[in-house]
Amino acid sequence: MSRSPAPRPDPLPGAAGPDAPDVPVAAPTSCETAVRRLWDYLDGGLAAPSHREVEAHLATCAACPPHFAFAARTLDALAAGRPAAPSPDEGAALRERVQAALTSAT
Amino acid sequence: MRDDADRGSGHATAAFERLTLPFLGDVARFARSLTRDPTRADDLVQETYLQALRGWHTFNADADPRRWLFTVCRHTFLRTERREARYTEAPDDDPELESLATAVAHAAAERSGAADAVERLDLGPAIAEALAALPPHYRVAVVLVDVEGQAYDEAAEVLGLAVGTVRSRLFRGRRLLQDLLYAHAQDAGFRGARPPVTAPRTAGPAAQRPSPTRAAAAAPPTSAKPSP
Repeated sequence: MSRSPAPRPDPLPGAAGPDAPDVPVAAPTSCETAVRRLWDYLDGGLAAPSHREVEAHLATCAACPPHFAFAARTLDALAAGRPAAPSPDEGAALRERVQAALTSAT
Repeated sequence: MRDDADRGSGHATAAFERLTLPFLGDVARFARSLTRDPTRADDLVQETYLQALRGWHTFNADADPRRWLFTVCRHTFLRTERREARYTEAPDDDPELESLATAVAHAAAERSGAADAVERLDLGPAIAEALAALPPHYRVAVVLVDVEGQAYDEAAEVLGLAVGTVRSRLFRGRRLLQDLLYAHAQDAGFRGARPPVTAPRTAGPAAQRPSPTRAAAAAPPTSAKPSP
């Protein structure tokens, strides 16, 4: 597998490369920390400080924003794909069918 | 609990219908989300109402009938899937590891060109196809939260799972869904597509902050979102 053209600031675990050394507590949020929070961040499920940390990371990282953008696009497409409720005609037919089934079941 | 005289006969059926039929449209839409097939969806709706009538004596009058019907519908759907041997047992994974794996998979897709291929897809039909291919366990969680817009705690009630389990199942479902999208894009013949060599992709605003509607729909402060 060829490496990506530009070195990533902090390769993701699972990508090629040695384990990153321990980072001081006050260090900026690493790519790993940011992407571990990816879905929680997009769901608005992070506490405010963690949310801000991810936001700050995305503003300066070259590698992570596309991962978040694609995840957000996936969620938007899922929400947009909500099927329509049955039309009035379909609804009436379905109601009749269900009521008939309920009647014959009792 | 209702009066005993209210159960067991025509009266009970009438009471049942009065309470449950107003939600027929909601159940029908949920069934369509799950089955992605109008005929199977109608069968599922009918079976849901029959099962619900059979279990009517267990319904707590204080409960939310719509959520109860969704629970019955979910049960009925998974039972059908099991009968048709499309059911796979889901291990409950660590949600943070699922998030991380999502990004690792996207990084790999960037290297292989699949990510660029997906960028060119009309995501609507591709998502519908991927959702239909998702193992039922995950599909139900993704449909409830991401398609139906239910909060984690509502989805947890319908699924009969702890909120934490819903979260891990949901995150894994989303990751699997993305994997299906990469595969779909490659099948669609974009494999040789050349990635852009100059302008680096920049994330849209959605990557910089969560969409307020999503945050509101999926994690209101009362459920998934930790208190500030």
